[in-house]
Amino acid sequence: MNDAKRITAKGSQDSPDRAQLLSALSRHKEYLVSGQLVTMSDRELSPEKTAGNKEKVGAKHHPAAPQTLTLEEVARESPEGIDLPKVLSEMADVGPQARLFLVRSEGKVARAEVFEDPRVCTEIHRGAVVENLKEKPVDVSGWRTHEFFIDTKGCLGEECGRCAIVCPENAIHLMGRGAGSFHEIDPLACKGCFICWVECVRTAADCILVDGKTFDPAMRAKHFGE
Amino acid sequence: MNVLIRGRFAVVATVLSGNSAAAWGFRLSRVQCYPYYPITPSTSCSEQISRWVNDGAMDTVTINAESEHSAASQIIAAGKSVRAGTATSSKGLLYMIEVLENAAGASIPCGLFIGNRATGAPINIWGDHSDAYAMRDSGVIQLFAADAQEALDNVIQGYRIAEDLSVRLPFAVNLRGFTGTHAYEGVEIPEPADVDGYLFPFVPLYPLFATEKPVTYGAMLSGNFYRRHKRNQMAAISNVPEIVLKAGREFGERFGRPYGLFEWVGDEKAQLVIALMGESASAGEAVTHHLQGKKGIPGVALLKLRLFSPFPAREIARALAKAGTKALVVFEEGLHHGAVFPPLAQRIATAIHLHLGADAPKVASVIGGLGGSEVRQQHFQLMFNLADNLAEGRPYRTEPYWLDIEEDPIFAESEKEVAPALWKKWGEVWKRQARKEQYFRPLPKDTEEIRIYSRAGQGAITSAVGFTGAGIQCGHQLLTVPAFGSERRGAIITTDTLVNERGKRKIRSFNRAWDVVILYDDTILSSPAHNVLEGLKEGGVLLVNTSRLRSAKIREILGASESRVRVFTVPASEVAQGLGLSHLNMAMLGALHRVYEKIPFEKALTYYEKHVPRPREASLEAIQQGFQQTADRQAASAKKERRFVVSNDFLDWRPQDHSLDLWPSALEEIQLG
Repeated sequence: MNDAKRITAKGSQDSPDRAQLLSALSRHKEYLVSGQLVTMSDRELSPEKTAGNKEKVGAKHHPAAPQTLTLEEVARESPEGIDLPKVLSEMADVGPQARLFLVRSEGKVARAEVFEDPRVCTEIHRGAVVENLKEKPVDVSGWRTHEFFIDTKGCLGEECGRCAIVCPENAIHLMGRGAGSFHEIDPLACKGCFICWVECVRTAADCILVDGKTFDPAMRAKHFGE
Repeated sequence: MNVLIRGRFAVVATVLSGNSAAAWGFRLSRVQCYPYYPITPSTSCSEQISRWVNDGAMDTVTINAESEHSAASQIIAAGKSVRAGTATSSKGLLYMIEVLENAAGASIPCGLFIGNRATGAPINIWGDHSDAYAMRDSGVIQLFAADAQEALDNVIQGYRIAEDLSVRLPFAVNLRGFTGTHAYEGVEIPEPADVDGYLFPFVPLYPLFATEKPVTYGAMLSGNFYRRHKRNQMAAISNVPEIVLKAGREFGERFGRPYGLFEWVGDEKAQLVIALMGESASAGEAVTHHLQGKKGIPGVALLKLRLFSPFPAREIARALAKAGTKALVVFEEGLHHGAVFPPLAQRIATAIHLHLGADAPKVASVIGGLGGSEVRQQHFQLMFNLADNLAEGRPYRTEPYWLDIEEDPIFAESEKEVAPALWKKWGEVWKRQARKEQYFRPLPKDTEEIRIYSRAGQGAITSAVGFTGAGIQCGHQLLTVPAFGSERRGAIITTDTLVNERGKRKIRSFNRAWDVVILYDDTILSSPAHNVLEGLKEGGVLLVNTSRLRSAKIREILGASESRVRVFTVPASEVAQGLGLSHLNMAMLGALHRVYEKIPFEKALTYYEKHVPRPREASLEAIQQGFQQTADRQAASAKKERRFVVSNDFLDWRPQDHSLDLWPSALEEIQLG
């Protein structure tokens, strides 16, 4: 934010200040709004910045997550940039709860610290943080009272994608590409909430089948209030 | 600015209030996000930080939150990726507690500075520990500071402790409202480079935006996982005492001020101990030093707790066992409604009974200092006497004693002195107490004290703070404590300054015996609510800003014609008006140097030349003229009263004009209809 420029947006809705501000908005800039003050700076991935050092900018904006390694992991991975024998001996002194906290910045080791993991129940992360990519999907098919199925013939595929966006369980996935693409519902993740069926741009006419039926006036009345 | 040499540490002492010192703590810790919602008495900490951010002195994102609840939520959100902090007090803290449990539960090491204040109802803006006690079960590390220097140091160490890999919890630094947060004293500000060497840059354990390892904070967990997580959280907080010791030791090595879990002031072998936390300890220290080694008094000590949560139970029990303590009086400024003892006494009693069993000293609890009540040296004389009675095996109360409740005193001779219902319950205890004269010998008066009576808005605090800085430059220890209340502009307020001449030990408690009393306005002489001679020492000085009264007349008004008080007058309003200044405080500052010679005027001037408020030249000239024109009798005949001219602009001003100025386009719209 060194080259940040400040714009003060004061005055009523139609004041020249505001018009000037709106015309100045650019998708290559970042705007930080605090009260009446808007702070503008270059977006990290704007053309000016990405031209020369693409990787460097990306690395700065998304810092690598620090690693917390056990003695076995340190021995197996032998991370570069640390005094391995010294670290291993320090960890051995601490005991089985020893961990190496390893922070890298732009490829170099910025901090390597041995500490004793305070957890008693080690299967739960510090702060009960959940690692999203390691989470196993849970079978929630038992929640459904109706079966949902997308008919590939009716689905508009990647042209639409509305059902995939609105699905609260992320249970709808795009299959294939281009003209032949279609959406599919993951039967283990679908809780049967009807949201896709209600939101479907084709009003689910011949697209989403509920219990094998394409159109059920009673059900529509229930969900649309018709 | 004053360079003190302490060992190999060359440090610079600057005059700071407790709030500014805490703000320096955040600045030196390079806090990256500071959301806040201001509340008395911690407001000026946040004000200072937003000023620095605006000036570019701090590279920090400040957020004007819409409530303390939001500010706390924002430090939690920010604390997942960067170093975050905020300041609050009283109800603001209570409003934050709801979310602060999330900070502790999610293991987010963010920091809070708390200007401790009473919690209503009734509304009370002054200092006690009610708010800190309310948050004690939220899983936040609680450190208590006794002065501005400790507040600064504790904020820096707080981040070090909180971010330690075996801890990773939020922390709060507590400082008593007003007597701590608004007291001005000499504070050594560490060098930023040294602090950078002490404090690692912030590294999150689980950054929120690491694309290769996305995480969820605050997921819903069922009992099985929840209880196992809480077990982990308790394991982490139990590591804190060890880390506090380590961080405090390293801080001492680097900055010359070591810190521990608590401070033991007084005799090593102390039969009688008073345990307490925070700023009120200053009066206790003075009394402990006074009683030490006196005839008829066993070893005495003060146990000043720094770490309250998690409670260092084992270490405190060990210290008391080592000292051979027989009786412990726990003094505290807060309540625990419905419990046997208030929180600190309860924690100490549990700790010593668990760790020392039958050898545990007897514990009595005393409640005082509530809602800004002054904790005076006399209170500690009482409490040491009480501890002596406990040690002798006299009966004592199994519920808290109270300070300064006339109907329920600690010592009472007869039934008539106390509330009737209480005599039934505690009469036997009262009857068998012994008031021992050796505890009540006159207290030493090591300090000289100056009181200013002024009208709010006259700039008395500014001049007293300037005087404090000049005194510190001359190598003395000074402390200025202004009185704050609900007074509007123009009301009569007091500002007190304490001078500890070449004091080796820091003294932070007033004797309330004034060497100099200053009136910024001669109309204060006739105020029915203020007796300006009260507490003024025999042979002390009364300095009055007046152009119309002679010192003889002032004596007559006060009914002090025969008194040995020396009365000086200075036409400060005239001086200020002659120089075109809007405030007369600089002239009064010069006059103060004339009547109080311990801080030499010539030396003080070198400080004022650098630090005097704008307009600098006129202010310096006012200081000079105030010094020269101070006299103990009016030289010429009394002049006509002169007042500042009140302009028409001032009289014509209306509140709504201000808003129209700010919104010119809105005004046009109104005019167009």
